Amino acid sequence: MLTEYLVVSALLIAIGATGVMIRRNFMIVLMSLEIMINGAGLFLITMSYYLGNVSGQVMFIFVAAVAASETAVGLAIAVMMYKRKKSVDVNDFSILRK
Amino acid sequence: MEGIMFYIISAITVGGALGVLLSKDPYRAAMWMIFSFFGIAGLFVMLHAQFNAMLQIIVYAGAIAVMIMLVMMIMDRRTIESLKRFNSQFYWPALIGLALFADLAFLAYKFKIDTSNAGKNLAINGSNTQMIGEVLFKHYLLPFEVTAIILLVALIGAVVLTKKDIS
Repeated sequence: MLTEYLVVSALLIAIGATGVMIRRNFMIVLMSLEIMINGAGLFLITMSYYLGNVSGQVMFIFVAAVAASETAVGLAIAVMMYKRKKSVDVNDFSILRK
Repeated sequence: MEGIMFYIISAITVGGALGVLLSKDPYRAAMWMIFSFFGIAGLFVMLHAQFNAMLQIIVYAGAIAVMIMLVMMIMDRRTIESLKRFNSQFYWPALIGLALFADLAFLAYKFKIDTSNAGKNLAINGSNTQMIGEVLFKHYLLPFEVTAIILLVALIGAVVLTKKDIS
């Protein structure tokens, strides 16, 4: 069963990475980031189960906290860009570079 | 039995993730994301991580999804729905994603660990939460405090970024 769990985790990470790269809507880019983080969390929990060590589950709590703060900052950037450009298109976000 | 349940729940999880990747409407994508999070919570229950399954439902399917939905609700509906689905050049990133999956799946098939301890040491007196509490506050106290600082910094950062007079 270990391999199947790892393949599901790999699928989640790959789908999330693809979503971050190909979607235009910044909201969906943030959702894809969440999917990626959940793939990593599934890996942690799987390893925690198969190694018989609860530390992986403790790590997942930290991962969840970091994911929540990342989403908060990402949404703040989205709101800021929406106020300036009236758009959440990632192609309009190149103004952040200047 | 466990195998059948695993395949059903992982189909829910991966299907939800694909829904986020492919759906045009961001509201619908958020619903697919919540679907996927519930699937992951089911996988956590199968891996004897009951506390983390509940944390997954409360933090991800509750807080984060509601946060994203609220931010989408304060925006103009036409602005965020009228976007095209993909970038103009989406072939190469999709190929990169496929290559990433092939790489990780190859690693997963090559991955061999000693699974003789599988399912042990995950609970004290049948309570997973108690075990996590013991380990978290005995061995990971400093990272726990640093997590509090990370949350504070994110809070301040979000407030500063959304202030009105940013130039």
